[in-house]
Amino acid sequence: MSLELLRLAAALYAVAAAGYLLYFARPRHTLAARFGGWFLSGAVVVHLAAIGLACKEFGGLEWFTLRGGFVLTAVLLAGTYLLVQRFYHLPSVGAFVTPLTLIILLPTLFGEGGAPGEAPAALKHPAITLHIMTASLGVALFGLAFGVAVMYLLQEREVKGKRFGALFSRLPPLDSLDKLTDRLVRLGFLSFTVAAILGAVIARSVWKSAWSWDPQQVSTLLIWLLYGGMVQARHLGWHGRRYALLTLVGFALLMGSIVTLRTVPGITMHAGEYKGPRAEVVR
Amino acid sequence: MNEPQLFLVGLSHKSAPIEVRERVALNGADLKAALLQLRASQGVEEAFVVSTCNRVEVFVQAEAEEAARRFFTSRAEQASDHLYVKVGADAVRHLFRVAASLDSMVVGEQQILGQVKEAYGLASGVQAAGGYMSRLCNRAFATAKRVRTETGIGRGATSMSQVAVDLVEKIFGDLKGRSILLVGAGKMGTLSAKALRVLNVERVLVTNRSPERGRQLADQVGGVFHPWAELEPLLVEADVVIVSTGAPTFVLTADMVRVAKKKRRHRNLCLIDLAVPRNVDPACAQLDDVFGYDVDDMQKVMSANHQARQGEAVSAEAIVEAEVIAFTRERETRAALPVLVTLRQRAEAIARAEAERTLAKAGDVLDERVRASIEAMAQAIVNKLLHLPTVKLKAAAATGESALAGAAAELFGLDQPSGSGRRDTPPNGAAAPAAPPPTEEDE
Repeated sequence: MSLELLRLAAALYAVAAAGYLLYFARPRHTLAARFGGWFLSGAVVVHLAAIGLACKEFGGLEWFTLRGGFVLTAVLLAGTYLLVQRFYHLPSVGAFVTPLTLIILLPTLFGEGGAPGEAPAALKHPAITLHIMTASLGVALFGLAFGVAVMYLLQEREVKGKRFGALFSRLPPLDSLDKLTDRLVRLGFLSFTVAAILGAVIARSVWKSAWSWDPQQVSTLLIWLLYGGMVQARHLGWHGRRYALLTLVGFALLMGSIVTLRTVPGITMHAGEYKGPRAEVVR
Repeated sequence: MNEPQLFLVGLSHKSAPIEVRERVALNGADLKAALLQLRASQGVEEAFVVSTCNRVEVFVQAEAEEAARRFFTSRAEQASDHLYVKVGADAVRHLFRVAASLDSMVVGEQQILGQVKEAYGLASGVQAAGGYMSRLCNRAFATAKRVRTETGIGRGATSMSQVAVDLVEKIFGDLKGRSILLVGAGKMGTLSAKALRVLNVERVLVTNRSPERGRQLADQVGGVFHPWAELEPLLVEADVVIVSTGAPTFVLTADMVRVAKKKRRHRNLCLIDLAVPRNVDPACAQLDDVFGYDVDDMQKVMSANHQARQGEAVSAEAIVEAEVIAFTRERETRAALPVLVTLRQRAEAIARAEAERTLAKAGDVLDERVRASIEAMAQAIVNKLLHLPTVKLKAAAATGESALAGAAAELFGLDQPSGSGRRDTPPNGAAAPAAPPPTEEDE
């Protein structure tokens, strides 16, 4: 049932993406962007309902798998964009973010639709929900920043290369895109920091050690440092092209690490049984 | 005697050189006087004059175009060689095209609609324009609005300064809290600096080799003058630099910009070089965070926009054509209406008179109910008889065919003043105040 709802949400995302893309291609049709917004809101509502239903259906293990992570990230990405749009009103961003949401959601639409089972006993910690939500929100914000950074690079190529064509007139001004990327990265970093601290607290309580050189922990730290470095570099005057490129690198690393850690079996204790440090498993 | 119709006599940038245009162009009180003179001419019912720097066009609702032609020849004899004359639907089309900015020097420019509106306002103010011109002009304004909203004819900058504004807007969004620096006193630079004010510029800095000219310039663009020696520190402060000096060499070199860039902590810098020969080293544009444009780049944008407008003009012409047809049809339907009205009035008068006569002969034999039904019957016969002719006449008028209306007038003798063949005019007061609405009621 939750899978059907998720597919319905995906269909709504597709319609919203079509609306935004139509608006992008023919800016005269402002109605298309408005339709896109409505469908996107509808999709988010359906998507949230699907998540609620999945919690009941599968018991909770779902959210500790790659698939569950994608489902959460997609809804947060779309939801965050809707929120951002309230303040910035940049419907052309929708043409980039809505398809990205759909792409993230796509792999989850096929197959079983969720891993049935209770959340592992080791993870019965009060802060776990907040940990997962802030981590996913961080990923979603970085994803949004990624979309905006792509727009920045495209627009910079047009403006600097003196190509005053269709993209030039449709993409927002460079400065708006740059500022938006910066804010999204900051917010994402904040959210990611909260998730990391909570993660350490939880690890300390269930695995008896906050840091155990687990690949997940290492990659998270690296990504956290990268984004943290970006926030610092901003104060030193880094912006524009270099900043946008860093945003792309950060998100690519993030997605790469998520996919690797979830698909290679046994590589991290942040998957499957959550048994704790390997030493214990061996014993 | 001719039917009065719409005549246009005029000259524009397409037909006449500026020497002729400036001699016939009028405004203000002179234009009012000329309008009144036109209106007072023999055979002229209504008139209005569009007079701008690119065109002087006289529209008259008249029997002939003579009076309108005199408007020009009395002011400049050589004008007669450059005049064009359009009649009826052609004149309507011309006005619609002018208002929609399809006939402008820069197709799609926005000013002309305002100028036509002003011209109409002036003409109706002095009662030179009446009902017909009001309908005509309002239709022209509506057409212009449709063209503007339904096509992209007004889109894309077509002047150097507007292009500069567009470029800067794509980099910075707006210039709130930012400053622009004007280097040199070139005309294009000054115009662009003024145009950039729409982006809410915080400060305008001005520098020039000659301080006197520089101070003048600063007053002109509402900025602050800084001596030429401060050029390099100014580069650190400004976000948009417009350069148009008469210098034959680069005023801004790549090295200068590189140094400034560091001090600016890599904030974006936009360099617009409007001078020929160029004043900004093209190598500057290669630097990161620096966006440089020269006159050629700006020209490229302008010509691209120009082409786009030409493309949009095709769909604009289609809109104009549709509106011209709609307007002239409306006119003709209106023209057919008098025939219909007279025909119906005549027939109803006859019916009433005959009913009266019949009732008078019958005397008191008939009671009130029967009398009423006899009157109703007479009315019904008229309605039934006239139903089909009414429909046919309206349809013919709508397709622009006026022959049928003429034939009807001829056939029913509507041209003659009522009376002939109406020996039985009803006694005064016997006529009901208003005839019931035709056709619909009795079916």
